[in-house]
Amino acid sequence: MENDLLLCRRVNGRVASPMPSPFTLTFTVNGQTVSLEVDPTRRLLDILRKDLGLTGTKVSCEIGRCGACTVLLDGKPANACLIMAYQCAGKPVQTIEGVADEDLNAIQRAFLEEGAFQCGYCTPGMIMALEAVFRQKPKPTMEELKEGLTGNLCRCTGYSGIVRALDRLSRRRVESTRAIDRLGSFRRAWPDTQR
Amino acid sequence: MKLDRESAGARWIVRPDGCDKVTGKLNFLTDLSFPGMVYGTILRSPYPHARIKAIRTDAAARLPGVVAVITHRDVPGVNRFGIMYPDQPVLCEDRVRFVGDAVAAVAAESEEAAGEALRLIEVEYEELPVIDSPEAALAPEAPRLHPGGNVLHRTHYERGNVEGAFRRCAVIVEETYETPRQMHAYMETEGGLFVPGPDGKLAVYAPTQHGYMDRMQLARILAMPETDIRVVSSPIGGSFGGKDELNIQPYGALLALCCGRPVKIHQSRWESVRAGLKRHPMKIAMKTGVDADGRLLAHRVRILADTGAYATLGAPVLQFATEHAVGPYRIPHVDVEGWAVYTNNGVSGEFRGFGGNQVVFALEGQMDRLAEALGMDAWEFRRINLRGMDDPGPLGQRVAPTDGARHVWETIRRSSLWERRSGRTTDRRAETRLHQRDVSSGSGHVDVRPDNGGSGPAAASFSSPWVRRGVGAAMVMHGCGLGFGIPDPAGGRIGLSAQGNIQVAFGHEEFGQGLLASLQLMIQDLFACDPGDIEIILGDTDRAPHSGSSTASRTTSMVWQALHRLQPHFSRAVCERASTMSGIPVSHLRLGPGGVWAGPERVVRYREIAEKGTEGLQFETQFHFPVTPDAIMGGHYLYTFAGVVTEVEVNLLTGQVTVLGVEHAVAAGPVVNPMGYLGQIEGGNGMALGFALMEDAVMDGSRYVTTNLDTYLIPTIRDVPERIEVYAIEDLPPNDNYGPRGVGEVGSVGLAPAIAAAVRQATGTWINRLPISREQLMRPISTFLHENAPMVSVPDVGKEEG
Ligand code: FES
Ligand code: FES
Repeated sequence: MENDLLLCRRVNGRVASPMPSPFTLTFTVNGQTVSLEVDPTRRLLDILRKDLGLTGTKVSCEIGRCGACTVLLDGKPANACLIMAYQCAGKPVQTIEGVADEDLNAIQRAFLEEGAFQCGYCTPGMIMALEAVFRQKPKPTMEELKEGLTGNLCRCTGYSGIVRALDRLSRRRVESTRAIDRLGSFRRAWPDTQR
Repeated sequence: MKLDRESAGARWIVRPDGCDKVTGKLNFLTDLSFPGMVYGTILRSPYPHARIKAIRTDAAARLPGVVAVITHRDVPGVNRFGIMYPDQPVLCEDRVRFVGDAVAAVAAESEEAAGEALRLIEVEYEELPVIDSPEAALAPEAPRLHPGGNVLHRTHYERGNVEGAFRRCAVIVEETYETPRQMHAYMETEGGLFVPGPDGKLAVYAPTQHGYMDRMQLARILAMPETDIRVVSSPIGGSFGGKDELNIQPYGALLALCCGRPVKIHQSRWESVRAGLKRHPMKIAMKTGVDADGRLLAHRVRILADTGAYATLGAPVLQFATEHAVGPYRIPHVDVEGWAVYTNNGVSGEFRGFGGNQVVFALEGQMDRLAEALGMDAWEFRRINLRGMDDPGPLGQRVAPTDGARHVWETIRRSSLWERRSGRTTDRRAETRLHQRDVSSGSGHVDVRPDNGGSGPAAASFSSPWVRRGVGAAMVMHGCGLGFGIPDPAGGRIGLSAQGNIQVAFGHEEFGQGLLASLQLMIQDLFACDPGDIEIILGDTDRAPHSGSSTASRTTSMVWQALHRLQPHFSRAVCERASTMSGIPVSHLRLGPGGVWAGPERVVRYREIAEKGTEGLQFETQFHFPVTPDAIMGGHYLYTFAGVVTEVEVNLLTGQVTVLGVEHAVAAGPVVNPMGYLGQIEGGNGMALGFALMEDAVMDGSRYVTTNLDTYLIPTIRDVPERIEVYAIEDLPPNDNYGPRGVGEVGSVGLAPAIAAAVRQATGTWINRLPISREQLMRPISTFLHENAPMVSVPDVGKEEG
């Protein structure tokens, strides 16, 4: 059974709807052009998570209050639970999966170094919201970084580790790679759900 | 030791699961899909209390795309669940008792079809009178919610002669405290994937804090052997106690077995709110008396807990509250009684702190009121009443000797925040004496004008007359483990894997707390190996042994003890193999990075040993959490202690309370994983801040008014102070071999009473209900319209409300 547990990627996800409205959504996701036949009102959140299998974008409140679903739409932060398919037409969408290569970006490194997450469910949204701040302003202040996260809830950390990460990012201290270097090969927990 | 990155040094490590979490690669169990899977959804009661007259599912079953519709008739085994006492129907037969009660469930090819099918299920209800408070439940004419009546559990602990002692008291404070229906608000709502196998087996991928307990409960419901069910229970997007009980698992399992296809369920936030557990709202009446020197003599406590519609862990929560209502203080005469009462208000159950948060808010409130009535410094008052190293526990039971209480007391006394509380309530001794017999009930607070006694330099340092500052502190003594009388097994396994890794397996879960990092550090400490040598298996009943629950501040403690038991056996066995292979005597060998070492050289790699066969290299241990030898129900043996001090600012025009800074002192033995420890206290701090200032799942007539995170507010990054310092006290008495105590809960307990004390100092208003209502603190602007406004006496408008 361990081998059959796969992430199901329905690239052409079609949704049963009482009144099907034919609509082909063409947009770019993490730099790749994607065309899908979807209901024009289908939520971007569902398109990402269910149709494209990009589950890094999380779902929590579905009313725009928690920020777990934060992505970049046309470079600006957006709650994917509030965006409909037609609003994405022709636009670039970036998700946590496309935010950095294997090397991790400065935000991700700061989160790892400072203990800015526990369960990690809020983390992709937090990182995307901060990514949006950095796109607006390459050297944001602590205040601007905090403002950028006011729409993102975290229940685990009490925000203390996040504040430490923001502090590091605002000062743009030379990145210590001390702890990062120790990532090593230790990634074997929960092997069969993590393939 | 101030706990931070600097003091942690090389022990400040990146979490093993960190990379996958910051890149979005980590699959939570609610992220999983399976080829051919269908979507499950649950029909829940629209009424808080009703009789079910009929359930008709035909139309729903006929809807295209629907593959299964189930009701109570489709439950093959016991149609009940509940960790302690299974009284909650999986699918209700003839009666619903709260708005989350499940009546039917559907699996369909799409979520849309599943949702449509729910609308087609016809349930005929006849509404019944609603019991929306514990008081109403206890009324003689109240309808009975369960065959045994409306009292789930009653506790009583007594020592000495409380009534007699009250007659000898110089000062008595009597007050009733109320706490809110706090919601866990984990960011990942309940969900999971249920995969039936061709062999009639079932794989369950759904978050819980005790996989084996879920397996046992599911086996009972499904009438299946436990060994035919595999429960994979983590990673988890937050739990805080809320996912320990079954939630969606029975429905996913039943649907999957019914239609023979994989079923996915992921609840919406509103479903999570309506069906999920909450912290028990409690009303706690305390009457506490001291002699003229300020020594506690007598303490009477009455706890009324709203346990909601079903039992789950309502009884142990009340038991815990009963014990912790006595706290870390020496009190000769004690009388505590508690009732956990069924109502139609949701279901209250396990939540970080486990009943301690509520009673510590009350107990510490009493300590502050008594100190003030005596004209004593609030912290000094605690010192003269604090337990000593060898004192018995709160219920008079023998406990592991500990000086934790005095250590945290001392750390808070020396803290820079506590120093800011310079406007101490001195000079009120004379005033107090006037009504020393009854400093209680309504007039219970000595009438202190904030600008008289309550405002020291801290308060005066702020310019606007309506902005006040105050400092408050609180003590916490928190039991670890489940307590006397409850099975509390622990255990784990270690072995060399076929690939040559040091493989450890525990039936515990990683829900964010950092167990993986703690294990990595412990294993490196014990075997001096590299992180790359380690393989950890967690939360999987097919691959990890019984370890008990990942709750009750017990996990770090138990895995530490397990590894210490296993280490000599494993090290010796591996070294013996290495000795055979290398010809070097065992006494010259030791485990190290990558393999077995002799002096400065690695002589055999772990992989080489594994290639020759790993039989005889697996070791398992099973043991029980340390318990008190005294048969006192619920009494604990190991405790964590904490002190909290905070400074707040109160705007009297808006009633807004802002927490400016917090310091925690925690005595929990050695720090295994500094980042994890710090994170637990900081995270607990955030939760306690919400508990104190904003969180309440409001119900009206047993229906939720707060339905999502727009109305149920939890702290944002703007609500928490930037300055939170954690001081870890690692000292344990000599010969204490119990290792680290848990810190998962203790950080969530003390901040609320500390904030209440600080608000008292800032405003003169005593807080006896949480969350602190702004209305209680607001003053009309006219109060401040005079020159020299800070000297005007501020009427305590909120007092009759509180
Ligand atoms: S899920 Fe989109 S903001 Fe909460
Ligand atoms: S890390 Fe769990 S919600 Fe933020």
